[in-house]
Amino acid sequence: MTTDQSTMTADPATRADQVLADVTEILRDVIGEEYIVDMSIDMDTSFNADLELESIEFVTFADRLRETYGDHVDFVGFLSEMDVDQVINMKVGEVVQFIVDSLETDTPAAAR
Amino acid sequence: MGRVLFAVPPLTGHVNPAVGIAGELAARGQEVALVGHASVVGPLVPPSVPLIALPGEISADQRAELEARSRPLRGPASLKFLWDEFLLPLGASMARDVGAVVERWRPDVIVADQQAVGAAMVARRRGIRWATLATTSAELDDPYAVLAGVGNWVSERLRDFQVANGVPAEEAARGDLRFSEDLTVVCSVPSLLRTASHPSHHVFVGCAAGLRRSAPEFPWEWLDRDRRTVLVSLGTVTREAGGRFLRAAAEALAGMSDRVQAVIVAPPGPLDDLAGQVPDDLLVRPFVPQVDLMAGLDAIVCHAGNNTVCEALSRGVPLVVAPVRDDQPIIGEQVVRAGAGVRVRFGRSTPATLATAIGTVLDEPSHRVAARRLQGEFSAAGGVVAAADHIEKLLP
Repeated sequence: MTTDQSTMTADPATRADQVLADVTEILRDVIGEEYIVDMSIDMDTSFNADLELESIEFVTFADRLRETYGDHVDFVGFLSEMDVDQVINMKVGEVVQFIVDSLETDTPAAAR
Repeated sequence: MGRVLFAVPPLTGHVNPAVGIAGELAARGQEVALVGHASVVGPLVPPSVPLIALPGEISADQRAELEARSRPLRGPASLKFLWDEFLLPLGASMARDVGAVVERWRPDVIVADQQAVGAAMVARRRGIRWATLATTSAELDDPYAVLAGVGNWVSERLRDFQVANGVPAEEAARGDLRFSEDLTVVCSVPSLLRTASHPSHHVFVGCAAGLRRSAPEFPWEWLDRDRRTVLVSLGTVTREAGGRFLRAAAEALAGMSDRVQAVIVAPPGPLDDLAGQVPDDLLVRPFVPQVDLMAGLDAIVCHAGNNTVCEALSRGVPLVVAPVRDDQPIIGEQVVRAGAGVRVRFGRSTPATLATAIGTVLDEPSHRVAARRLQGEFSAAGGVVAAADHIEKLLP
């Protein structure tokens, strides 16, 4: 059994932890490590108020999620459904949950 | 001779390009006027361009309150605030008051600032030819990107705004008050934008710096020809809130004084202690003649406001950009993508990160090379002369 499969079959809490770690690392990259040395990212971190992510950085973030999880995780589709207030209030936990759910259904977005 | 009315919102960065273009048209013998709120617009308009003052001024207290509430906001939260609390109420009052002005002044053409949507609505409703003046290119550069819901929200709010002001729903659904179908004059050059193709009625005129009321004084003899010169300027809205950033920049630049002199545009007070310690290295002034200074600069640190960026690039000056809100992240990204500068984070920059960024722009020739390439494009774009040419074509 490879590490990947064991991650996939682990209990949901562990899987969420792993996804949060991935997402945190990607966000640190997108924002720039030198700017968030003194900042922790958790499920409650807000993209707008805490991370100050701009629309242009959402593009980079989406690209990095696709590289990490492939087409199983259609983050651009997820974002396109959101209205302005949902975008403003979006927290890291929502994205983690979306990724966990997408990985569970395990169906490429194109086939849904 | 034709009659051209420029409608501007009470925002300095939007008024100056309109004044520049209006001045060019006036010099050609066209009848021009600016319509706007005198408290903000008045001091920016030279005597040769008549100002028609609008009622419906917001008080200094109301303005201070709006600025205080907007200060902590970023990204889509800031965009929502801008439209709901400022641009749409402004639009409603301008729709009413510009209508009355138009009946008296009888313009052949209205040039509506992209954010003066009330004036655009008046022009459309009355069948007057109108052009959009986009003093920033952000709206033409896919600003909402993957956040489609945010872009849809703006479009919907603009339709609701028209319906609320008496425009029939089917008419409101056609066209967009931010983009005239006749002519949209854009203060930028196409290669800065991600979008590769643009409709032929979107014309890019480069930098619209032109006629100004008067340039502030500057102690030109202070500049030391043996060192490089860096300007730090956060624009008219941001600088009051930029104390922490300005201080970090001042400290970074004071640490480079063996090879750099810095001019910092800042209100009197917060930086006086630093400037007092190294008066030959740091010059702090509340206002500077930015356009005149630009030719002698080696780099500029700014908030990525479109006017400052265009003024810098039209002189081939590379930039360190620290975008804060609104269109600034988009414009800052344009600078980085073009290779003409580096981006830092406004809210989290330290003297160390700023020193690194400024050093990069000064030392790596690629940034100046890219800025010089853009200088050629800006020069070819024609500025206020090209803008006036296009507007004249709309005259009867």
